[in-house]
Amino acid sequence: MSISLTTTQKSGAALLLLLIVYAVFGPMLQEGDAATQNLSHIMTAPNSEFWLGTDHFGRNMWIRLADALQLSLMMAGLCVLTSAIIGVSAGVLAATRGRWLDRGLDAIVTMILALPGLVLVLIFAAIVPGSFWMLYVAISLIQWIEYFRVSRAITQRLTHSPEVQSSKLMGFGQWYIFRRHYWPAIAPQLFTIAAFGAANAILMMASLGFVYVGIQPPLAELGLMIVEHFPYYSDAPWLLAQPLILLALVVLACQLMGRGRTQ
Amino acid sequence: MSLIHIENLTVWAGQTELLAPMSLTLEKGQRLTILGQTGSGKSLLAQAIMGNLPSSLRTEGKVTLFGDEVNAKQRQRFWGHRISMLPQEPWNSLDPLMGAQPQLQETYQLVAGQSAGEARQSADYTLALQGLSDSGHKRVDQLSGGMAQRVAIACAMAGGASVLLADEPTKGLDVSRRDQVVEQLLTQSEQGTLITITHDVAVARKIGGHMMVIKAGELVEEGDAEQILKAPQHAFTQALIEADPVNWPAPEPSTQTDKRLLDVEDLTIGYGTSALTKHLSFTLDEGEVVGVVGDSGCGKSTLGDTLLGVQQPLGGRIKRQRQAAVQQWQKLYQDPTAAVSRAVSLRTLLEDTIKLHNIDRARIAPLMQQLGLTDALLNRNSEGVSGGELQRFCMLRVLLLDPVFLFADEPTSRLDPVTQRDVSKLLVDVAKQNGCAVMLVSHDPDLIAKRCDRVINLNH
Repeated sequence: MSISLTTTQKSGAALLLLLIVYAVFGPMLQEGDAATQNLSHIMTAPNSEFWLGTDHFGRNMWIRLADALQLSLMMAGLCVLTSAIIGVSAGVLAATRGRWLDRGLDAIVTMILALPGLVLVLIFAAIVPGSFWMLYVAISLIQWIEYFRVSRAITQRLTHSPEVQSSKLMGFGQWYIFRRHYWPAIAPQLFTIAAFGAANAILMMASLGFVYVGIQPPLAELGLMIVEHFPYYSDAPWLLAQPLILLALVVLACQLMGRGRTQ
Repeated sequence: MSLIHIENLTVWAGQTELLAPMSLTLEKGQRLTILGQTGSGKSLLAQAIMGNLPSSLRTEGKVTLFGDEVNAKQRQRFWGHRISMLPQEPWNSLDPLMGAQPQLQETYQLVAGQSAGEARQSADYTLALQGLSDSGHKRVDQLSGGMAQRVAIACAMAGGASVLLADEPTKGLDVSRRDQVVEQLLTQSEQGTLITITHDVAVARKIGGHMMVIKAGELVEEGDAEQILKAPQHAFTQALIEADPVNWPAPEPSTQTDKRLLDVEDLTIGYGTSALTKHLSFTLDEGEVVGVVGDSGCGKSTLGDTLLGVQQPLGGRIKRQRQAAVQQWQKLYQDPTAAVSRAVSLRTLLEDTIKLHNIDRARIAPLMQQLGLTDALLNRNSEGVSGGELQRFCMLRVLLLDPVFLFADEPTSRLDPVTQRDVSKLLVDVAKQNGCAVMLVSHDPDLIAKRCDRVINLNH
């Protein structure tokens, strides 16, 4: 399978790569860590010592933003991977393994879809507040549905197609049919879903941080930082702007990646 | 005033000339038949006249319609009610979400400008005329290929265009329907003009009129159809006419083994609760070649699926008299591109088969040579080879499995006549050599007569 990206997708990938480099290597360029407070240096404007300034506890924003970004990207990556694996497997199984499994999975999906996604995540987050893993489970639980529906629809169309029938008649097993027929049809669609899914996962985690049920202080998290800096918007507007801009950039990068060729 | 007048029309892709200069003039009541193989550029000519070529292609030359010289854009005004095109592959040109009747009604209403009531009447009347009264509510995917073709024809004619371009109008139709379609086209042409593009010599003979024979974008012969078909001058035209099944040599009788392979008793086939064919009883011996004929939609493909065990019969019994492995009961498909994964190269697919069944690699080269397949071909995927090559590749894979039974579902109907003759001959010869029984489905009785030992007719 050859992958050819459009210019839009390439710019998205470049932006994302830049952000990943910052998240991983950024903290090494400055001394200190994300949690150490320095009350004699609160709300310093960006200068040569603190490249992005300090927050209301005098913490180094350059390092805190990189940490927050790391957390967001990790969440996005994990959620995309988990929900894709679960969604595609369930979708293919539902389309190929008889009526009852299909009905059962369909019922579960309908139930999950009946609830607004964010509410479901809120419920989970409220069970164990501040847990990264609980958020991960909750977001994946919502996101696998899209992969499920797309792979199920594609597989259903293919199960009775001549190509699959031909392979079955030749004695090939289910795994072979998945590898040669279902997967090549599903894979091109996954990329778009994954890109938008990643953006959604990041936004969801930030939303929870913003209403204080997500990641808990003193950990750096984009949504949490926004709400923490909110009271100082007139004294230090750049402080509030930083996590907002970063969040917008990450989401933009994902969305650009998801823009496929329009014909 | 001539309806169509074309001077030195050429089609270019970049700097490559796809269609050499063509000139033609058609008056009211005249017919033009363009004969050529698939890929010869005859569809390009039709699209160039119509003005709906892909934007990557460029045309040069003068096109005059109804007395006015018009460019491609201006020709759009004429679409539907003055000039109409009957596209290939009708199932792709119909709305997949709409029933046949509403679609036709819409055409009468929006293109021909009838009122809603009139349009409904016209649509019902036309469908009845086409023998489709019971199928008006069906969507494209519920219609057989032949039925979809008839709906598409009805839609193309609904606007009352006086110039009709028909691109392979009879592809995939059985003979009785084919003749009906040709009759219909002929009636239509009396009020205007008809341009027919076909690879089928029989259709060309029926429609007659003026004829152009095209090979690889070049005009090789032009003149009166009757004259050309009777005494073709060019070697290419001669080959085309020879490839018509009517002109094939009679089959050699196969060596009867009298070993029974299949007993079918009182079989009823169909989907769900609707039976397509009832009370079917026949036997099949090893190494026998049996033709299966019947109108489109009568269950020819379903019979194959039922015999292969892919689908359950609604009644009756199928008894396999010979113990053979699952993979020895095989099928060839009408559209090889739909039956082969396009994700990997043909070589990978062949390797998969070899590994799965531990096939002796020494057998491959001679068989490939017999089928006329080159090794280099295997490096491409299914989209990179022609239909004939892909069908032969399918035959290669199937034959490597030592089949005892092969259901060939119109394996050559999408191929041009020369390839059709070669592929069907190969299929029958190789099967006979290997003692494999073949059921050959075709809508062409001549092909069946020249290739099969006996015939099963599903029409009664």
